[in-house]
Amino acid sequence: MAVLTQDAADRAPARSRPPDLSRIVIFAFAAILCLLIILPLSWLFIYSFADRAGHFTLGNFRQLVTDQSFVDPLVTTFILSTTVSVICCAVAAPIGWVVARTDMPARGFVRILVTASFVTPPFLGAIAWELLAAPNSGLLNNAYRAITGAPQDDHLFNIYSFPGLIFVISCYTFPYVFVLVANSLDRIPGDLEDASSILGGKTWATARRITIPLALPALLAGALVAFLQSMTLFGSPAILALPAGFHTMTTKIWSLFQYPPKPELAAAASLPLLLLTVILLRAEHKILGRRGFSVVGGKGAEPRLVRLKLWRWPALALCLFILLNPVFLPYGALLNATFSKVATQVVTLQNFTFHNLEFVFFELSATKVALKNTLILGAATATVCTTIALVISYVTARKAVVGHRALGFLATAPVAIPGIVLGVGLFLSYTRPPFILYGTLWILLIAFVTISLPAAYQQLQSAIRSVHPDLEDASRILGATRLQALRQITAPLLRTSVIATWCFVFVGVMRELSAAIMLFTSETKVISVLIFDLNESGDLAAISVLGLFMLIVTFATVVLVNRIPGFGGGIRLRNH
Amino acid sequence: MALVELRGLSKHYGSVAAVDNISLKVDHGLLVCLLGPSGCGKTTTLRLIAGFAEPSGGQIQVGDRIISSPERTLPPEQRNMSMIFQSYALWPHMTVAENVAYGLKLRKIDRGTIAKKLSAILATTKLAAFADRYPGELSGGQQQRVALARALIVEPETLLLDEPLSNLDANLREEMRFEVRRLHDAYRYTTVYVTHDQSEAMTTADLIAVMNGGKIEQAGSPEEIYNRPRSEFVARFIGSSNVVKGKTLDSSRISFAGAALRCDRSTLAAGGETAISIRQHDIRLLSAAPQSGENVVPAVVVRQVFLGGTRDYMVEAKDGTQLRVVAPAEQNIEQGASIWIHLPPEHCRALMG
Amino acid sequence: MRGWSFSRRDILKGSAAVAAGFYATPIKAQAPAPEAITPALVEAAKKEGKVIWYTSVDLPVAEKIAKTFEAKYPGVAPRVERSGAERVFQRIGQEYASRVYAVDVVNSSDAAHFIVWKRDGLLAPYMPEDVAKHYPAEHKDPDGMFATWRAWLSVIGYNTELVKAEDAPKSFADLLDPKWIGKIVKAHPGYSGTILTATFQMQRDLGWGYFEKLAKQKIMQVQSSADPPKKLSLGERAVMADGNEYNMFLLKESGRPVEIVYPAEGAPLIVGPNGIFKNAPNPNAARLFQNWMFTVEAQQLAIEIGGLRSVHALAKEKPGRKPLSEIKLMKDDPAAVEKQGEDIKARYTQLFRV
Repeated sequence: MAVLTQDAADRAPARSRPPDLSRIVIFAFAAILCLLIILPLSWLFIYSFADRAGHFTLGNFRQLVTDQSFVDPLVTTFILSTTVSVICCAVAAPIGWVVARTDMPARGFVRILVTASFVTPPFLGAIAWELLAAPNSGLLNNAYRAITGAPQDDHLFNIYSFPGLIFVISCYTFPYVFVLVANSLDRIPGDLEDASSILGGKTWATARRITIPLALPALLAGALVAFLQSMTLFGSPAILALPAGFHTMTTKIWSLFQYPPKPELAAAASLPLLLLTVILLRAEHKILGRRGFSVVGGKGAEPRLVRLKLWRWPALALCLFILLNPVFLPYGALLNATFSKVATQVVTLQNFTFHNLEFVFFELSATKVALKNTLILGAATATVCTTIALVISYVTARKAVVGHRALGFLATAPVAIPGIVLGVGLFLSYTRPPFILYGTLWILLIAFVTISLPAAYQQLQSAIRSVHPDLEDASRILGATRLQALRQITAPLLRTSVIATWCFVFVGVMRELSAAIMLFTSETKVISVLIFDLNESGDLAAISVLGLFMLIVTFATVVLVNRIPGFGGGIRLRNH
Repeated sequence: MALVELRGLSKHYGSVAAVDNISLKVDHGLLVCLLGPSGCGKTTTLRLIAGFAEPSGGQIQVGDRIISSPERTLPPEQRNMSMIFQSYALWPHMTVAENVAYGLKLRKIDRGTIAKKLSAILATTKLAAFADRYPGELSGGQQQRVALARALIVEPETLLLDEPLSNLDANLREEMRFEVRRLHDAYRYTTVYVTHDQSEAMTTADLIAVMNGGKIEQAGSPEEIYNRPRSEFVARFIGSSNVVKGKTLDSSRISFAGAALRCDRSTLAAGGETAISIRQHDIRLLSAAPQSGENVVPAVVVRQVFLGGTRDYMVEAKDGTQLRVVAPAEQNIEQGASIWIHLPPEHCRALMG
Repeated sequence: MRGWSFSRRDILKGSAAVAAGFYATPIKAQAPAPEAITPALVEAAKKEGKVIWYTSVDLPVAEKIAKTFEAKYPGVAPRVERSGAERVFQRIGQEYASRVYAVDVVNSSDAAHFIVWKRDGLLAPYMPEDVAKHYPAEHKDPDGMFATWRAWLSVIGYNTELVKAEDAPKSFADLLDPKWIGKIVKAHPGYSGTILTATFQMQRDLGWGYFEKLAKQKIMQVQSSADPPKKLSLGERAVMADGNEYNMFLLKESGRPVEIVYPAEGAPLIVGPNGIFKNAPNPNAARLFQNWMFTVEAQQLAIEIGGLRSVHALAKEKPGRKPLSEIKLMKDDPAAVEKQGEDIKARYTQLFRV
């Protein structure tokens, strides 16, 4: 009891306490967040309403709606996104169901393949499909002609076309829908379907009446995400649309920066994309509520698996056939082009060569710089983004400060900004005093962090929600400050999620092109830009080498980080 | 010495008052129980005391310090309290020993002292054998003891318990009730204990505050609450009571089922309605009409259940009022029989409002 | 926008001051003294360690030249930054407007760019010895700001496995034949300096009506003038309407089934000057690089492994390639390209819809 009295006396209010860092840290992060997002958006708005001389005008918007060369891309983009969205749903839903709810063999392998599709940058996939399906030189078309003896003019596939572009974009967008559908199906408790079977519902009836309606919200949300992703893609349209003779909104915006640049028009053209994104996101939010992507998907009871019996093997065949398109064929084409003297000729003993590897790694002077920049930016972005997301998601999940809702909104807001729009906004913000960051890696860091923040935030948010607040309260009542509790209790419990988020952001940086293309300079080039540049001069072999190398590095990093003892966990697609 | 006082404490969420102007004084070393159904505000009150929420009005004072008020609320880490959570909140990534020693480590106590205190508390809570296990490997009862050890090792001024026994099975719960009281008597902290289980409250508390709808309905010793419930709510909540309402005939009687019922007071205000509560086991079942007809009412047996030591009857009076009666097991009256029920006046407690 | 200084008025002013030729009357009274490569220069260059070269010449060619330079002067590592000339111009403008000084030496296939850069005082005067001694007056700037590093043509071409020699087009007019619908590949003036220059010359000599008809041929549109030859080599298209002669030489000489056709109306002549920027981050390395580039050794290399043509008096054309003197050329006019460049791009975009 003497000890008790002593302690009580020590805690008399007369003694001054060190300032609680928690408040300061939290406000600092909030300020960073505001700066990241509000600054580029404001410049975007200002420019879109100004003319060359800087006076207020609505002329930019007038041109937007009257000039055919703007209206056409707008219509094209809309049709493109809608079609991609429908295709993705049509493909992802059955695969999702078969992987999550049936006893089809090799389900885990199929999931891995879908992850591979997700990790592949769409622009690399587009280039690989050039190798495969260019009408006259593509590998597949050559094979077709060889097999059927068709004349030289005949071809089976033409990748340089609107359907070609839709196809390629769908290949690399469907993982988004898959993840949403599979995750939601993972969570449906088996009893719900049991109830239907007991009442006499056969497999298909159960699927139709119970499972599918339950997964419908996720499917709708997936459709929206697919629409948004395809609307804001830059790389694939830039690679395939130009030879085909049309523009999409993103390529049109980019073309406005050709000399002489018209940033006002670019800003004005960005706003419809922004508006549409915001509207669709509101709709997705209404449908899905607070869910979305979640990393630590705590699966409850094992769902009841549907026995496919004889249909198991056809189902697997179908899955693998579908996954031919984003994974097997393109990777194969890239591998082939790496070692072949002529990119679209199949490698044989005669035309096998190491020259392409030599060229990329020993002759191409931009390789080292691009590699270095990409890895630095990948690691830096992942670290910064995860930290910010962790603090902000803690603050919003625990409602730690006044205005935490606004913080949460800001953290998700960048999702509404298409990559190229953000690139334009950042360009306009940071090529002028007081912060001239153009030409440094900082501007790219800012762009990548801003782009990756929403997904990181959502993942960590749902992870923090799975940590019972009592655990932190218990440490606080024993004497820990908020920050101490976050560091000693919450963060260790979130280790798996934090690692998975880090990897997710790292991968995202590797495949980012639409903002990087606006902001890079020769010193700050990244691999995605280098590949894009090489495509403009038609150096397909070099692209294949770089692309494969990039994929290897990405996969290796993910595997490595997850294997380091103490980190544990895995970036299983289930836990996306 | 720690004295916990709540003065006019309120907490509003929007327009809803979760805690509505409650005042309570807890002397040092007492174990006070906040008892009530879910949603009555008892957990919110506890969290206000702990500092996890800020009051909308009123004050909380501990000793001579005001620790909570709408202007300024001391954060939990500065209150020198301990808390045991309903979910135990054991940290899954730390062993039992690390969990328990956490509070001492925060206070930067030297390792030797920590080791000594740790082994002492683990011995007291019979957890010495589990020191290196992880919480996930323990049973519910063992986890609860870890939570207890963790809370007690830091020798707080005030101990807060949030329904600590509700996750245990019935037998363990009974045993732990006595354990909690025993430890309280040994360490003599001021303890605030939240529960919805009246037998827990009766067993452990020095002072019971019955809460309903954010207000304290009645605060007093267990005997007071049990024997002299002041409101219908308290009467129903504590002990098994029937509540009968009737027109006030005079200063000590109300009308019920065509008869006059005398109650234990003579201060009733005539011309209104009064509620009377009577314990289920205080009502007598008579097969024949008694000589003295005071407080005797005819009734019909609606239902009878044999519970081993007693029989549980549901009887219905002439006016349709149903009363539950607990009678000795030997008294076996079949369903449908007409009987007389005797409500002794000294057991008919008049309630206020 | 705020720092963008290349307004059209500036350009008009610049070109008005320039007479019919490109390299016209000097602005200063005296040309800078010719400079040789001295050991002191080499030492200073080694201290800087690198030189950044923005160019639009095809990447493998650029990298080979860079590697040869580095082999000769170890310790000075050139970094090639390759993009279409129009994009190079835009990027340099963007960088300079933000005071990002990354580029040391620039080579552009759009000679008009040098008018603008010189006018804006962005170039540094430096007269390599070889330029002073062996370069004709019409291929060097009297103030020593730049000189023609390479020359080549934009030509028609075809894949010999897909097209028989007798069926191949012989002129631009031949390309309008309906039998070539869907078989032609062509590059873009908005990206490539070569193509911008070629398009200017063609519309001057053949009129915009020609392009209107060409637009109906369902051409495959690519960006760089180095790409059509590569597409021919892959067999992706049978015929190219424009593209670098030097890429065709290299492909043909390495055994690929492609063949050049010099159009009957004349092949557009493209000139690619080299210059040093005043704010170059590695000025000595820049000078060393520039100087070496104009030596007969480097020029011969450009001819041999680059397929390019040189205006160095002592450089020899490679046997097997048609000498320049035997080819009918369209005349180049960089000042006019400068004036009309924006309009040409806009009109082209309208016609070809991208």
